Formats: sequence, structure tokens, C-alpha cells
Amino acid sequence: MNTSLWSEGAPARLLASCHRASGEIVFPPVSAHSPLADQYEGLLLEGEGTLYSFTVIHPGSKSGQQPFALGYLDLLGPARLFGRVNGTRRPAIGDVCRVVPDATYGYAFELAEDAQ
Amino acid sequence: MKQMHVMGGAMTRFGKHVGVKAPELAQQAILAAVADAGLVLKDIQAIYCANVLGGMILGQVILRDLGLAGIPVYNIENACASGATAVHLAKHALLAEQYDTVLVFGIEQLTALGGGTIPMQRNDEKTDLYAAAGMVLPAVYAMRATRFLHERGAQPADLAAVAVKNRFHGSLNEYAQQRNAVTLEEVLASRMIADPLTLLQCCPSQVDGAAALVLGKRSGPHAKDVRVLGSIVVSGLAEGPRDDILDAEITARAARLAYEQAGVEPSDVDVVELHDAFTIAELLYYEALGLAAPGEAVALLHSGATKVGGRVPVNPSGGLLAKGHPLGATGVAQMVELMWQLQGRAGARQANAPRIGVAQCTGGGIAGVDHAASSVHVLGV
Repeated sequence: MNTSLWSEGAPARLLASCHRASGEIVFPPVSAHSPLADQYEGLLLEGEGTLYSFTVIHPGSKSGQQPFALGYLDLLGPARLFGRVNGTRRPAIGDVCRVVPDATYGYAFELAEDAQ
Repeated sequence: MKQMHVMGGAMTRFGKHVGVKAPELAQQAILAAVADAGLVLKDIQAIYCANVLGGMILGQVILRDLGLAGIPVYNIENACASGATAVHLAKHALLAEQYDTVLVFGIEQLTALGGGTIPMQRNDEKTDLYAAAGMVLPAVYAMRATRFLHERGAQPADLAAVAVKNRFHGSLNEYAQQRNAVTLEEVLASRMIADPLTLLQCCPSQVDGAAALVLGKRSGPHAKDVRVLGSIVVSGLAEGPRDDILDAEITARAARLAYEQAGVEPSDVDVVELHDAFTIAELLYYEALGLAAPGEAVALLHSGATKVGGRVPVNPSGGLLAKGHPLGATGVAQMVELMWQLQGRAGARQANAPRIGVAQCTGGGIAGVDHAASSVHVLGV
């Protein structure tokens, strides 16, 4: 897992950057090596958002992979993230998802099963 | 704007040309285009080679044995818009009177990749994160399709109807990779790739092909002189957190500029070759190109206006869905098709007697950007 994406402490939150002048939020955070770095300050993203759109990818049978969902998640801030959507059912636009650490992808979106 | 003329053009059949090397494939299109322009190779003063995945100095490799005496060769990569970008750059040189006659060709050999979707670039942390999570172009378009169905009250069959139309057109085109007309039921029943897009709603991933145009400051030998009236390339804007993914902003921006440069309105357009890599794309681009009012794309499709024989046929070649999408060749091939259409040389798929044609390429997904590049060309007779 890319631990540099996450804040320390509990609950961990995704790190981002906020443009000092415009307030625009950038994820992942602007690199300290960037010549623009001094125009940004650190920010923690919200831990929950709303699914803006999604798809379920159906890999070919030769791949051996199971179908998986991908989506755009809108967070307060505002910010929009792309990532894997995990859950036991098919996602729907408007679903509430939590942003959770993921060992493979750094982060993922977890369907909040009580939300519809 | 001074005039740039399409003096001649040609393309190979798009399909699996397994075992055929890049020079052999591209030279077929190059030599046929030069002959179509009524010229010989020594008349060409500079060459633009569009390609995405073929590696360094592909143009020189392809041209090495043609005896071109060291004329300038420019290799151009701009994702799916590479071929159109090459035409655009050739226009700059011609109008600056750097050259009188140039050749633009595009080539791609996707069978060499062994199938599957085109890999996304991983040049920074964001592209790396998104690509690792599964960002591929079918996913990008499928998320647009999901949102389209949600917002517009459209049905999966509305998406599938694009494939039925374009694959019928492809059945009429001897240059198309997939020449089978299909029914709505067959499209919907084909294997799901990226929900809601089924296999027959995606352009084939294993395709090779080349296309070439001779462009010049004077007309070619054909009775109908095709001129490039508008030529625009733009790049994407960084995505905002509340962007509308149905907006196709980059394409709408390129189209507005191209129409303005050409001095035409969308209602003047008689035939269109657009970037239907996936069915949803054609519906979004109807609106971005001004062929349909916002929210009216599905109605335009079902009206029959965009079918060969209709008011403004879209993708009479079969489009990327049926003809195939060898990336670097696509933009050039679109304009070869428009040249044939405008000159009445398109055979069974001829779209009435068009006078204004539009070619549109938008491609290259980058994490955090709508698309990398969009190009719109307006051709006329």
C-alpha cells in the first residue's frame, strides 16, 4: 500500500493539497519536488462521499479475474476521486461510500450498505 | 484562411494484418495516395507520420527504402488524435509556405499488443494510481454511459442502436474490419465488457491499418476539389470536482473553433466521421458537434438522420466501431473517407451528395483530464 497517501492517526484520511489562492483541491497531494509546491497547503479529504458514476468491468474468461466495480466518488471539499468500488451488491449512482485503505490500490471505496 | 487542398488519399483495409511489417503496410497507403493525387514520390516535399505505439522514428523506418532523398520526416504522437494532429501540423507548414506538397500518413499495428484494451500511461502519481485501480478507456466511457442512462432516462438499447447503425455502414465498406450487420438483440446479448457497454459497443481492439493523404497548396486531379476549411487541435482542461462527464467540453470547444474557422454552422454539415470508439461517444459527440441540441442525441439517432441516406450521415465508413481504430491511422482515415464522400467515390455507403464534411477525433485518457487531445477538421467542396 502507498502509505504516503494516508494521514497518521485514526481514522486515517487521504492526504490532498489545497491551492492557497483558488481553494482548488488536488489529489494525490502535490509533490514536495514540484516547483508549484509552495502554492499549496496540505489538506485531509473527507472520509465519505457519494458515487457520481460507476461501471462494472467484466474481464475476459482467460484472465481468471472476477468482475469488479470502478467509480467516481464525490467528496465534500469538493473533490472527485476515481477508484475501485467494493461491496456485496451492484453499486448505484448516489450510493454513499467510505474511502478506505487498500493494500493493492492505496485506497478504495466501500459501499455503506445502509445507504440507498 | 488560405486554402489547403486534399489532393489525394488512400488507406489499407483495416483488420488483422498479422505478419505484415509496418513499412509494407504503410507503404501500401502512401503509394496509393500519391498515385491518387496524380503525383510521384519525388513531388512530396515533407512527410508527417502519425503513430502511437510503434516506437521511435517509425516514419523514417517506413520511408527508408522509398528513395525520398532525405526530405523532412516528422513523427507525431497525440494519442487517438495523432493522425488529425499530423494533418493540422501539415496545414501550418503549407500555409506558412514552407512546402507546396506534403504527405501525411498514419499507421498502427495493435495486433502486436496481443489484444485487450490500450494501456494507459503512468507518468506521474495520479496516472499511476488511477491506472493501477483499473482506469482504461472502456471504463471511462462506460462511466459516462452509466451517467447518461441515469440523467437522460435513456435505455441500454439506445446505446446499442449506435452499434447497429455503424456496423450496418461497415457492412458496406470494403475497408472495414468488421463487416457484419447486427441486430439490436445481438448487440445487447454480446459479452458485457464494461457495464453497460457490451462487446459490440466497443471498437475492436486487435486491428492494424494505415491511411495517407497528399495535401497541397493546389488542387489535385479530381473533378471535385476537396479543401480543408477548418483545422483545429486543442488539449484537455484539468478536471474540476463537479465537472459534467456528459459535457464533452474538449470536443465542443474544438468544434466551435473549427466551425468558426471554416465559416460554417453545424446545420451546414452534410456528413460526419466521428470518434465512436464506444457507442456512448457518438451520442455525446452529436451534441458536442452541434448536430443535436443538448439532450436531443438519442432523438437524433432514432430519427434516422445519421444513417446513410439520412440528412447528415454519421460514420458512413462504419466508424471506429466497425471499420476499426488503429490509433495513429484513425484521424487520417476519417479524412480519406470524407474525401471519398465529398467526391462521390464512396460506393455503396455514399452519403447523398455532401458538400461539407466534418472529422472529429478525441482521445487519450489522462487521469485528471477529460481527454488529452481533440481535433476537428471541416472539409468542403
